[in-house]
Amino acid sequence: MTEPADKALLERKVRKAFQVLVLQRGRNPGVKGWELKRHLGRDFRAILEVLSEDVASMGLEVFEVKGAEGTDDSSRFLLRFKEPPTVSEAETSGIRIDDLAVLAATIAFVNSKQGRVSRREVEHFLREKFPKWRVEYSLDRYVKRGYLDQDDRSMVHIGWRTRAEVDEATLMTMILSRAQEAPKK
Amino acid sequence: MIELCRSVESSSANPFDVDIREKIRLLQERLPDWKFLDELLIDSEAMLELAQIVKLQDEWLKHRASSLYIDPLLIQLKVKLLAKESLSEAFIKSWHPVAQVDQISPKGLEKAFVYWRDLSPMSERFKDQFGKHGAAPGVVDYAELVSMGAFTEQQFETTLTALMDELTSKSGGEWIDYMDFIASDSYEGRVRRSYLMAFLTSEGRATLRTEPLTGKIWLKALGEKAKAPPKSVAISLGDAE
Repeated sequence: MTEPADKALLERKVRKAFQVLVLQRGRNPGVKGWELKRHLGRDFRAILEVLSEDVASMGLEVFEVKGAEGTDDSSRFLLRFKEPPTVSEAETSGIRIDDLAVLAATIAFVNSKQGRVSRREVEHFLREKFPKWRVEYSLDRYVKRGYLDQDDRSMVHIGWRTRAEVDEATLMTMILSRAQEAPKK
Repeated sequence: MIELCRSVESSSANPFDVDIREKIRLLQERLPDWKFLDELLIDSEAMLELAQIVKLQDEWLKHRASSLYIDPLLIQLKVKLLAKESLSEAFIKSWHPVAQVDQISPKGLEKAFVYWRDLSPMSERFKDQFGKHGAAPGVVDYAELVSMGAFTEQQFETTLTALMDELTSKSGGEWIDYMDFIASDSYEGRVRRSYLMAFLTSEGRATLRTEPLTGKIWLKALGEKAKAPPKSVAISLGDAE
């Protein structure tokens, strides 16, 4: 194939990759590796790399969430913000500060307990800081949205969405490095 | 052994508290003693639970080796001391929201349209399974019965008066059993008498009394029309034989 034809094919595949990643199919965002392979061919990782460079100018990146099996097929690929939003940007998107605080505290607590802790313990821990109704409501909501995972033994784990959207190491470091403050009522 | 493993699985206890080597040795020692299927099943269940604990130990080690491991007490103390605003700010600064278009595409819209266009109306949808007998329950009023030819207006009034006379003579001012009074040779006859009785009681020409403990219903003709507003009562006539 000639060079312009190769370029046109690559551009077409990159465009296709963008469309596949950005349009939500099913309940959860992102696309599994096996599906991308079907749409883009076996060299889909190379196409995603090109796409990731292209969307960087818009502040986005292609991110891979490893699946349980650790294979290409089981990985989930999605587009996400390259840099975290500013606090004011997050606030204007309608997210409640209290809700985010519950999620941040829960992620930190679950991680400190080797990644699994009973729901009862999480609720007990959070109730020292947040009202009971908010704790239950927020936990249910975050389980539903994939940030947390709750198994049939009522053990809470970190959900796939947290793995996709949250830089957990940064979160833990930021919580630990923050200076002690008097909690606001 | 099974209970111990399950309690570790359903709590954040350290999975290394279970001595796998010792438990397996115990199972090995006891294996020749098991004779019945139930015993062997419990033995294999114990093995399965031990395997789950080994899996937890693997996860525990991986997590401990990662940079995410921090002493739980330290984290709990930090979270307690930090203001909600600081916690949410820490989250936002480590957050990379997913970018996606959460709206229907023209292709999706077309699919939805085709689905809607080809969807049979509710009345047609389950005909194959249930036939045409699926009319929703409703109320048949007097006018409808007349229009259906079940009664003519004159017949209805005459029948109503005849039933009232029968009730007056049978009750003689006393309470009589409602079920005895509406009894008939056929189910249709019973329904017909109870339907007419409903008119008489609604008009205040007769009254009902129920005994909640026995479920008995008593009926009495009234000399004068009752002035109190009528109350609604549901009476089951049972199934057609």
